[in-house]
Amino acid sequence: MKHVIIGSGAAGITAAKVLREQCENAEIVILSADEAVYSRCMLHHFVSGERQVEELSFISDGFFAEHRIRFCPNVQVTGIDTASQCVLFDGGSETYDRLLIATGSESFFPPIDGLSGTKQVYGLRDLSDARAIREQAKRAEHIVVIGAGLVGLDAAYGLVKMGKAPTVVDFAETILSANLDAHAAATYQAKFEEAGCRFYLDRKVTEVVRDGAGNVSAVTLDSGDTLPCDLLIVAVGVRPMIGFLQDSGIACGRGVMVNDHLATNVPGIYAAGDAAGLSESWPSAILQGEVAAMNMSGTKTTQQDTFSAKNTVHFFGIPALSAGRLVAGPGDVEDCREDRNRYQKVITHDGVPVGVILQGDISRSGFWQYLIKNKIDVTNIPKSIWNVSFADSYGLDENGEYQWDV
Amino acid sequence: MRRILIEADKCKGCKNCSVACMKAHVPEGTVFSLSDPQFESRNTILLDSEEKCRPLFCRHCDKPACVNSCMSGALVKNPDGHVLYDRDKCAQCFMCVMNCPFGVLKPDRATGTYVVKCDFCALHGGEPSCVKNCPTEAIYVKEVE
Repeated sequence: MKHVIIGSGAAGITAAKVLREQCENAEIVILSADEAVYSRCMLHHFVSGERQVEELSFISDGFFAEHRIRFCPNVQVTGIDTASQCVLFDGGSETYDRLLIATGSESFFPPIDGLSGTKQVYGLRDLSDARAIREQAKRAEHIVVIGAGLVGLDAAYGLVKMGKAPTVVDFAETILSANLDAHAAATYQAKFEEAGCRFYLDRKVTEVVRDGAGNVSAVTLDSGDTLPCDLLIVAVGVRPMIGFLQDSGIACGRGVMVNDHLATNVPGIYAAGDAAGLSESWPSAILQGEVAAMNMSGTKTTQQDTFSAKNTVHFFGIPALSAGRLVAGPGDVEDCREDRNRYQKVITHDGVPVGVILQGDISRSGFWQYLIKNKIDVTNIPKSIWNVSFADSYGLDENGEYQWDV
Repeated sequence: MRRILIEADKCKGCKNCSVACMKAHVPEGTVFSLSDPQFESRNTILLDSEEKCRPLFCRHCDKPACVNSCMSGALVKNPDGHVLYDRDKCAQCFMCVMNCPFGVLKPDRATGTYVVKCDFCALHGGEPSCVKNCPTEAIYVKEVE
C-alpha cells in the first residue's frame, strides 16, 4: 500500500505519523510545496528575528527517518489524475493507492482597486512571505497591515519587535474581533499603540496606489485618508488551497468536500485541515489528520471533536483565551469581573456555559472550552461560577486517566 | 507506561505533594521561599462543592490534548508514555493551557513565558517527588496499559 500526502502542515504531518503507527510496511510519501516543515503560526517570530528557519519546525530532527517517510520538499502539485491514481507536479508525478489532500490554505487578497499586481504586497502565510516581509521591513518606513485579526496582529507584533511601528486598518470596530470582545481587545490595542502602532478601525481600504516602478506607495481609506505605504501586508483571511483540483473530478465547494470519514467523492482520496475548509485551528487540523489516516489505513473512524471556536492570544506578556460566544446574545447571562491584572467573562445560557474570555490570568483554565464544547450544565454546582472547575465533575478511569463525571 | 494514580478519597489536602514538586524543580541545595512566585508546583489540590479534595495532577494522557495543540513541537509524548515539555522550543502561544480539558496546565506565574508542566521528575530518576512525599498514599505510581 502506498500513501501519498500533499502538504506538510499540521494535518499532513500528523497523518503521516499515524499512518506509520497503523501500517508497519506501507510506503508513505509527503509532497510539500514548502522548502521545509514549519509552523505557520510561528512565522511572525521569524519576521521579528527571534527565530531562524530551523526553529520554526514542529517536528524532531529525525522525524522522517524514524517514521520511514519520504519527504519531498519544493513540490508544486499541478493536478491529480484520478483514473491512473497519479499526482502530477512540475517535473514529475507520483502514483498512490491512497491520497490525502492536506494543502492547507493561502492568503486571500480582496478585490481592492490597485491591489492586484502591485509590488511590496504580501500575505503572511508562507516562509517566503515572512522572508520578504523581514527583508523589506528593514528598509520600509511606512508599513501598513490590512486586517486586525490574529494573523495581522502577529505580523504587526513581529514588526514591532523589529523596531517598526506599522499602521493597522480593519473594517471591524475592534481589533481581534473574532477572538475577543471589545473590552479585552482594547487592552491589546493600547499596548500596540504604546509601541507606536496606529489603528484605523471601522475603515476600509478603497485603493492601493503604486509608484512608477509598480511598488506600493500609499493606501486610501473610505474616510478619505491617504496613508503613505512602502510595505503592505494583507491579512484579511485565507482560502483553501485547492486550485490544482480543478478538472480533477474531486468535488469542491469552499474547500474539498468530505464526509464524516474525511473521504472525498473519489474512492481512496481524503482531505483534512484547512484544505477541507473545516479546521480553522491547529488542534482541529491535528485531529483531522488522525481521522483521515485511520480511514486511509482501513480503520473506519469518524471525526468526534469538531469544536474549533477556541483560541489563545499572547501579546506584550498578556495572555488571553477565548472559547465559544464572545458577546452575549438573547437569553444569555453574562458574568464579568476585572482587576488590575485580569479580565474575565463567562456567558451562560440556561445554566450552560456558551462562551468564555479570560485575559491576564489563564492559569489552569483549559476546562472552560470542555464545558462549552460539551454543553455541560453548571446550574447545580452550588458555588460561584468563578470557582467552577474540573473538581466539580471529577472522575478517574481504571487506568488513572481523568474523565468528566457529568 | 508508568502513571501517578490517584485515590482522591485518601487525600487530606496537606499539599506535601505541592511543596515536594516545588522543591524538586529548584537547583539542588537551594532553600527556596514558599511565597516566591518563581517557585511553583506543577500539581495542585482543588476542592469540589462538598469541600472534598480533588488532586489535580497531569495524567500524561494516552491522547494528550496539550500535545495536539502544540504548534512548536515543545510538547511531545515520549515513547515511554510521558508528555514532556521543552521550554526552549516553546513559542508561548499557550494553546496547550487552553486545550487541556482538565485545566492542569498554566503559564508560569513569575514571567508568563513558559508552561508549568509535570515532567515525572525526570531529573530525579523518574520517581515523582510528590508520590514520595504523600503521607496518606493518595497518590502512587503504577504501570498501566
